[in-house]
Amino acid sequence: MDYARFVRLRRPVWEKFEAQLTAARKGMSHAELEEMALCYRQVLHDHALSAARYPGTAAARRLRELAVDGTRALVGGRAEGSGGLVAFFTRTFPRAFRRQLPLTGIALALFLLAALWGLAITVLRPGLGIAFLGPEAVSGLAEGKLWTDSLVSTVPPAISSSAIATNNISVALSAWSGGILAGVVPIYVVLLNGLLLGSILGLTLQYSMAGELLAFISAHGLLEISLILVAAGAGLGIGRAVVLAGDRPRSLAVREAAQEALTVLLGCVPWFVVLALVEVLISPSHSLPASFKLAVGLSLEILFLTLATLPNRSLDTQT
Amino acid sequence: MSGEALDDRESILGLDNIRLELPIAGVGSRTLAVCLDYLVLALLLIAWFIVWGLVLPAAETWAIVALIVGIFALEWGYFAVSEIVSRGQTIGKRATRLRVITAEGGTPTAGAFLARNLVRSLDLVFGIPLMAIDPLARRLGDRLAGTLVVHERQEVATLLIGRVPPGWGPRELAVVESFLARARGFDDSVRTYEMADRILERLRRDAPELLAGLDTRSDPIAAIRQALQVVED
Repeated sequence: MDYARFVRLRRPVWEKFEAQLTAARKGMSHAELEEMALCYRQVLHDHALSAARYPGTAAARRLRELAVDGTRALVGGRAEGSGGLVAFFTRTFPRAFRRQLPLTGIALALFLLAALWGLAITVLRPGLGIAFLGPEAVSGLAEGKLWTDSLVSTVPPAISSSAIATNNISVALSAWSGGILAGVVPIYVVLLNGLLLGSILGLTLQYSMAGELLAFISAHGLLEISLILVAAGAGLGIGRAVVLAGDRPRSLAVREAAQEALTVLLGCVPWFVVLALVEVLISPSHSLPASFKLAVGLSLEILFLTLATLPNRSLDTQT
Repeated sequence: MSGEALDDRESILGLDNIRLELPIAGVGSRTLAVCLDYLVLALLLIAWFIVWGLVLPAAETWAIVALIVGIFALEWGYFAVSEIVSRGQTIGKRATRLRVITAEGGTPTAGAFLARNLVRSLDLVFGIPLMAIDPLARRLGDRLAGTLVVHERQEVATLLIGRVPPGWGPRELAVVESFLARARGFDDSVRTYEMADRILERLRRDAPELLAGLDTRSDPIAAIRQALQVVED
């Protein structure tokens, strides 16, 4: 069809649809909506035709805009759209989490190694502990006081809990985003945290306060370490894509790995919030028995792992 | 990167598998919009501080908690509620003519608007680099809620050619249409008339009968419009 004829024949439909789009903002009856849907279909087909035959012309541009606007006006959120969050946490996140398990395992192995190392050197050479923790914390320990006590009591729980959440999240995010440097940063974060935990444990053993430390971290420590390891595993995934892109373009491999890693990380965000609350409300409390804290820590960890590895049958049928 | 891969990502399939290209908004315009929004939000926050200072006893712990909860509620609520009410536009987005849509091109649900604004504080730090590397310019919240931000349709008068000289393809049509649409706004009349003369020359060559009886000397632009039977909305 000739362009002029196309414009002459079809323009009334476009104009009608444009008027309907304006009217739709104020709400319309069922019959009007049906008519609009019909026009929308025609506009879509005209758009396809003009994009193929008359690309770049005013008619093609206008039809594209009408088609995009019409789609927005007539197409609602997906049926599962309202359950988008639910679907994310029950399907998308567990799937990505399980695919990434081997990398998380590597992160765990590195962490345990570093923790053992830290424990060994502080037990053998207590002087090194001061280098890790800073003189203030150590002098506090000498007085029989865990520095964790003073950390949380100076600021109101609301403020310190948000500060702790952001701190944890930023550790995890740097472990994740640093994956772009061929996985160097996640490895560093894992080793550093393992070393710190190991040496703190060694140091508190020296001052026979390991019990207090374990009681303090039992409520949140397991989950905290798990989350950091998961984030580091995600970062390692990006690092692996940088180093071993395979037969695909490196940029593509990295982008895919980053998206996968991002899914895992996003799924962890609510847990960081839970973690921060526990760390502020339950961990420092002296009135709660250590067994209760341990129970909280274990149940949180089990809950996290169960939800993260949620077996889902609909997973295989969908996409 | 091949053009095909780009097409795949920036377009969606509409009804009957018709491909629709979405005018994705980039980092720049989105940052501008959010700056405007934070200006509005700053006014709201100042109002909240004043109210809080006048009404609540500042010394109490719960009053501080109320202050923080209020700040969070304002920040989250301003974006989420204004997007829900106006179906995808905050004040800043309206000023910069942006709109939130779903990945399918539709209007997002309230749940999606709430979800995309929940991680806004994280996106203050990580949003910009994320938008820059993503071809769809999505920040964390967009990924979580499955939304995109697009440019809105410009409601300008379109100008269509109603008579096509033989041998003219979409390229010639597009050039002449965009020239005519903008000719009135050009300052440089010499250049404008030069361009108009070139189009007239082409018309004389391809279809002299269209120009028969038209005065091409005094107002070439009007002559082109008449010859091509330009229609305007």
